[in-house]
Amino acid sequence: MMIYVLIPLLPLAAAFVLAIFGEQLQGKGQRLVIPAVALSFGVSFLAFLDVSANGAIRVQVFQLLNVGQLKIDFGFYLDQLTVLLLLLVTGVSTVVQVYSSRYMVSDPRHSRFFALTALFTAAMTLLVMSSNLMVTFIFWELMGICSYLLISHYSERSSAARAATKVFLVNSIADAGLLVGIILTYLSFETLDIPEILAIAQSANDIPTESLTLITLCLFCGAVGKSAQMPAHVWLPFAMEAPTPVSALIHAATMVNAGPFLLVRLSPILVLAPNAMMVIATVGAITALFAAVVSLTQTDIKRVLAYSTISQLGFMIMLCGVGAFVAAILHLIAHGCFKAFLFLSTGNSLAGTHRHLESSQEKPALSSSGLFIGALIMSLIPALVIFSGSYQFLWISQSSVAANIALWIVGLGTIFFTAMYLFNCVTTVFQRGPTGASDSEPVVRPSLFSPRHVFGITVVVAVMIALLIGVWRWFAGFLSPVVGGMQAQPASEFSAWLLLPLFAALAGWIIAYYRFSHPGPPHTGIWKKRLYVFFLNKGYFDEIYDVFLVRPTIKFSGWMWRRIDQGIVDRLVLSLGSASIGIARRLGYLDSAVDNRVTSVGTGSVTVAHWLGKFVDTAGISRTVDGIGQGADATGRAARHYEPHTLQHNLLIVVLWLVAALGFFYWIAG
Amino acid sequence: MSSLLTDHLLSLIIAVPFIGMVVLAFLSERKWVLSVTLAITLINAALAFYLWSQFSLVESGMQFVERMEWMPTFGIEYAVGVDGISLLLVLLTTILPPLCVLGSWESITSRLKAFMMLILLVEGAMLVVFTALDAFLFFMMWEVTMVPMYFMIVLWGGPNRIAAGLKYVLYSLAGSLLLLVGILALSLQAGTFDIQSLAGFTYSENSEFWIFLALFLGFAIKLPMLPFHTWLPDAHSEAPTAGSVLLAGVLLKMGGYGLIRFCLPIFPEMAHAFAPTVLWLSVIGILYGGYMALAQTDLKRLVAYSSVSHMGFVTLGIFSFNNEGIEGATLQMVTHGVTTGAMFLLVGHLYDRTHSREIADYGGLQQRMPRFVAILSLFAVASFGLPTTSNFIGEFLILVGVSYENFIFVVLAMGGIVLGAAYMLWMLQRVAFGEARTDAARKITDINAREMLAVIPLAIVVIGIGIYPGPLLETMDASVTFVVERLAMGQ
Repeated sequence: MMIYVLIPLLPLAAAFVLAIFGEQLQGKGQRLVIPAVALSFGVSFLAFLDVSANGAIRVQVFQLLNVGQLKIDFGFYLDQLTVLLLLLVTGVSTVVQVYSSRYMVSDPRHSRFFALTALFTAAMTLLVMSSNLMVTFIFWELMGICSYLLISHYSERSSAARAATKVFLVNSIADAGLLVGIILTYLSFETLDIPEILAIAQSANDIPTESLTLITLCLFCGAVGKSAQMPAHVWLPFAMEAPTPVSALIHAATMVNAGPFLLVRLSPILVLAPNAMMVIATVGAITALFAAVVSLTQTDIKRVLAYSTISQLGFMIMLCGVGAFVAAILHLIAHGCFKAFLFLSTGNSLAGTHRHLESSQEKPALSSSGLFIGALIMSLIPALVIFSGSYQFLWISQSSVAANIALWIVGLGTIFFTAMYLFNCVTTVFQRGPTGASDSEPVVRPSLFSPRHVFGITVVVAVMIALLIGVWRWFAGFLSPVVGGMQAQPASEFSAWLLLPLFAALAGWIIAYYRFSHPGPPHTGIWKKRLYVFFLNKGYFDEIYDVFLVRPTIKFSGWMWRRIDQGIVDRLVLSLGSASIGIARRLGYLDSAVDNRVTSVGTGSVTVAHWLGKFVDTAGISRTVDGIGQGADATGRAARHYEPHTLQHNLLIVVLWLVAALGFFYWIAG
Repeated sequence: MSSLLTDHLLSLIIAVPFIGMVVLAFLSERKWVLSVTLAITLINAALAFYLWSQFSLVESGMQFVERMEWMPTFGIEYAVGVDGISLLLVLLTTILPPLCVLGSWESITSRLKAFMMLILLVEGAMLVVFTALDAFLFFMMWEVTMVPMYFMIVLWGGPNRIAAGLKYVLYSLAGSLLLLVGILALSLQAGTFDIQSLAGFTYSENSEFWIFLALFLGFAIKLPMLPFHTWLPDAHSEAPTAGSVLLAGVLLKMGGYGLIRFCLPIFPEMAHAFAPTVLWLSVIGILYGGYMALAQTDLKRLVAYSSVSHMGFVTLGIFSFNNEGIEGATLQMVTHGVTTGAMFLLVGHLYDRTHSREIADYGGLQQRMPRFVAILSLFAVASFGLPTTSNFIGEFLILVGVSYENFIFVVLAMGGIVLGAAYMLWMLQRVAFGEARTDAARKITDINAREMLAVIPLAIVVIGIGIYPGPLLETMDASVTFVVERLAMGQ
């Protein structure tokens, strides 16, 4: 059993070695990382075989916390869901590392890159394997910081630095919600151990629905952040500042899947909170549709892919929200593989600054057909997944007719737009050719609508449908022990409704083709133009956040510091001090009249009061100087004036204080 | 020697810095002064770790107790001992000074010997504060810590050092006055200065409130709690590197330690009565400190205000009155000492090179100083409690602890963590990434082996505790349980 510890340990060890000996290994980091990650993939496969034969495995590593009632074990829990994600993570990671070893060659921060991607792989495997929610959170955040450090890889570019900060901050707000949710879970379930929580959720329990709803929403908050759902979706396009392999690995294929993973992992809790599930489905649906439309208008190819990722993630979240957990995971894995493929096949033509569709100076090379095939398959995935998994999809939506219809419309709309923008993307780059390229250069263009292609596509679609239906049956059976809720068996009869998604995708293709072949004057009509501009600017989310959230916060903090902290709080305490001097002085005189013994105390306090007075004045002077800003000159003078005195005085005063205190005590005790 | 090691280990640890001061007095050569101070502080750290290894985890009371009559007329003793809580702070106190010496190896050019003696004096005095079993001894050394810190600020500090030093002394004196009044009032009623006996005594109804308030304010000023925090940014930013490290790293912890050692066990009822106010002040302090840090343009001030925010977590944990909260708070004190100490050391490295603390004067440091930026990033993310660093464990325990009391505090404190991420990453973005904004930043050189050596141990501690906090938590578990049980009686 302990062999599964190797899954995270190998990449982790590689990352540490690279972090420490990076300078010596410059340029050779991949030789260490690739075998580590590949071996990790191998062990994951062993785990997959083991789990599919023997069911879930628990591995105990050590006790992280044992304080009061809180007990946190660091351990692994491998079940069907975990092993699938392990295969995805380590598999994609291996491929991306191999790819990066060419892509990142001659990069000055070569070792840093490989160390961080290896660390990320370790963190993500630990996240999916963890048997405790708190440990899950630990690696959830660790992935976030890896992402932060990789986005700021080209740190000379100030845009990359800004993007990295923005990405992490958006995520940290969402993660605060997740941590709140985890603590709420702990308060309700009195444990953070995932198998125990799931067992409690599945058995009869007396946890009120309201608190379950709250817990689910808080946990969902974390998923909203990591999986770039609205309104936190703004970070994913910024994350494209990272090197392309990172975009493929982290920001398309693996890390962003943490959200749906978390929801499916905790699905037994989710199904107990139908209201929360409605929220989840709505957020996912809105995100899916919005992002699909936005990606239709974008011109930066990495941005198109980013919004397409957001849209697909929205789809998965929506599937979780309607209770189709197995379909969500199938979509997750299919999307992860294909998106990574898409990114990598476009990577070379996207290198550096030539990312704009209009200005791409690249000659279509072998990579173009990669992008082409990737795009075709991508546009079909949601359709196919729905098609194959729709029995579940239909099952839960029966709860409310309106919701059912709305979700269907949104789902179909997303499929439609996905087909459209992917078609656009492919044709604009590779069919029409880069704008601005001189005519003298012959451009090789794969022609899209040759009979050969149409035939090929038909065959591919047919094969995939057959495969997916076959895969689906196995898949649903495989995952059924880990997901919550009533699991409908895949029905065998064919429903005509299930053809709808396919038609939607086809319609998207046809319309996109029509617009491509009949380029009319774009965006006529005031409404159309406005809508276009609205989506072109990504719904103005960045601007709204900047104007209403970021800038006011910074301004407010500056104002608070100057006016409140320096202006009021600081002065208040100082004036309290000077008031007490007056009292002390009076007390001193009164006391001295009473008794000999008291006199000593009195004189002590008078001295102290004098001294305090002097100090307060000095502090007051420097304060006024600071406040009005008359310059360092006056401060300097004040400092020169007081320095020789204060040194001796201060020593004297401290001694005096001690003597006075002792005297006071002697007087009282004696 | 063996008997000295076994029977008087704690006194030995306390005495080493003072002996070191005497030794230093006979040295004059710069090289010797530095290496002897380093050796002394390292020996003390080693002794403290030896103490830890000898510490029994099951006993809840004081261990390594040593008593000696000092002023028998007043019942004042030299009495020292450690329990789990003070042991951790003793460890912290002995770890930081050697790193301070390394950090000020070249930056202190004038009166080096005096400076090193002051470091040793602070260390010695603080060790007594954390181990004292006698309230008078505690108070006396509490006062003594103020003196060397004042001189460090005034003699080796930045341009506004005089004003900052005065403010520091003024606030400290106000705090210690209240503390003195509180301790005297305590012992007048109880008739003893022994801290453990003080806890068992029942005080008169009406005096209880005022004594608690006096003690609490005394500790709150040192921590510092809102609204007594304004001395801290001035003192931190004007102090030399070693001064800032010791001030933020250990001196502030005297306040938190005082709360756990005096306020909670002596007045459990009063602590419960005050708890809502303190908890609210703490979360306000967390958010307020975060906001203030966001506004800073000076690196040291930014770290100083972040301390205000982190100390809010400490009081939040202490006043949730359960194992999770108090152990989290103690861990947070240790971990804050380590991270903030490292932050000040790193800022000191920068300051040594360019003589500027302004964030705007840097930028793009990653190109010239990759090693520095790697370590700075580590401590920046540790500072806002990124998981796998020790700060996260502390904050998580505090949040769990306070969630038993009132969940609203968890939500508000979470805002402080987000703010922490905001100001730290924004700082990192402006300092480490982008393009260099000044010539000085363009010509800057990466940190050398000595400077690395000053921060690497702290990095290991931060990640080590973050991944495996067990040993530290086990060390204080019995002692904290003792305090919690005592508090439960006050309900």
